[in-house]
Amino acid sequence: MSRTAYCFDLDGTLTSTEILPSIAAELGLSEEIATLTRITMEGWITFAESLRLRVAILGQVPLDVVRSIVDDIDLDPALEAFIRARPDECFVVTGNLDLWVGHLVGRLGCQGVTSRAKTRNGVVVLERVLDKGDAVKGLRTAGFDRIISVGDGSNDVPMFKESDIAIAFGGVHSPTQAAISEAEFVVHDAEALCSLLSTL
Amino acid sequence: MQPVEYAVIASAGLGSRLGHGLPKSMLEINGRTVLSRLIESLRPHVKGVRVVVGYREDLVIGLCASLHRDVVIVRNPEFRTTNTVQSMAMGARGLSGKVLFLDGDLIVEPGSLSHFIAKAADVPSLVAVAPSRSENPVNVVVDGPESRMLVTRFTRDAGHPYEWANVVAGPADMMDGAEGYVFQRLEEHLPLDAALLDLREVDTPADLELAKAFALQVDEQGALRARA
Repeated sequence: MSRTAYCFDLDGTLTSTEILPSIAAELGLSEEIATLTRITMEGWITFAESLRLRVAILGQVPLDVVRSIVDDIDLDPALEAFIRARPDECFVVTGNLDLWVGHLVGRLGCQGVTSRAKTRNGVVVLERVLDKGDAVKGLRTAGFDRIISVGDGSNDVPMFKESDIAIAFGGVHSPTQAAISEAEFVVHDAEALCSLLSTL
Repeated sequence: MQPVEYAVIASAGLGSRLGHGLPKSMLEINGRTVLSRLIESLRPHVKGVRVVVGYREDLVIGLCASLHRDVVIVRNPEFRTTNTVQSMAMGARGLSGKVLFLDGDLIVEPGSLSHFIAKAADVPSLVAVAPSRSENPVNVVVDGPESRMLVTRFTRDAGHPYEWANVVAGPADMMDGAEGYVFQRLEEHLPLDAALLDLREVDTPADLELAKAFALQVDEQGALRARA
């Protein structure tokens, strides 16, 4: 029997607000993080480089503060319902840190594939930056023979390349050109996305 | 009886014959693009609209992002080497049931479209025909009265009262595997039920003038109905 896995990017795809900027706002570092987010989305620096910088800036925030901010972040209700209806086939594939978003992913009831970090003397230290293409390969090894992925940014391109069907989703902001160029579909509305996912 | 569930609009091709540097569906008439007009007249009748994009996809994606957010955009990056029929097949990917396939360069009178879609529920496939008036038409040979027409043949010969109107309703997989023109795929299944559709095609500069006048007339009728 054919097994399909649905992979979702987190920030700006499942969440209507970006998570790291919300943490940055708490620190009064919104502008600095916004600049980093912008140049990363446009692909001017690699996602790994950007994540290292962001963790260096935001890693000083106590974890319980981060978690309380992340817990307040809204998930798109239509996509949340889609995932809750098939939690074993859905995966959140995010470059964000397990330490920061693990609880949020847990709320959805599905598994997450994330970048990894640990704390040293209360400071978050990055251990491994997720390559989203590797995440898809991992799911194939785990027995999924068809992968459908949804994302919006340059770091979703490796995931799109390894997927059978890629959907660029512009629910919050327009997908980047790089993401659109690797996608089979472009969708701007969560209900339309869920209906597309159920026909594929 | 099986109602039309989805509409697939093929808007991937080059607007080369008109030379405006735009996909033909992005031409604006009386403040609205040809594509917006189509989407808005289809939206009340179907569960979803899909638009297949290729040439200048950025423009069509931008239009949908701002005005038609619930449209699903299907990319055809091979638009330079594929035909409309292949775009239509890509647009219907994953769908089942009945689909209305349309060229993206049509101005359709909404009332007549609504009738056509209703009629399409009663037959396996329904081919749209119109009085022959385009510059380079593919004409149709029809049998029977106007209310129950059958298309028996497509022809490039002049002197036929009706032309193929580039709109057809049928099974979602009806364009799969085809390579030539859409009407050549239909030829494989003749005879086919047909019905009139009040529309104009934006294909050549002369067509464009006719289409503009027609769109203005449709807009006026719409405004009158809204006031009544």
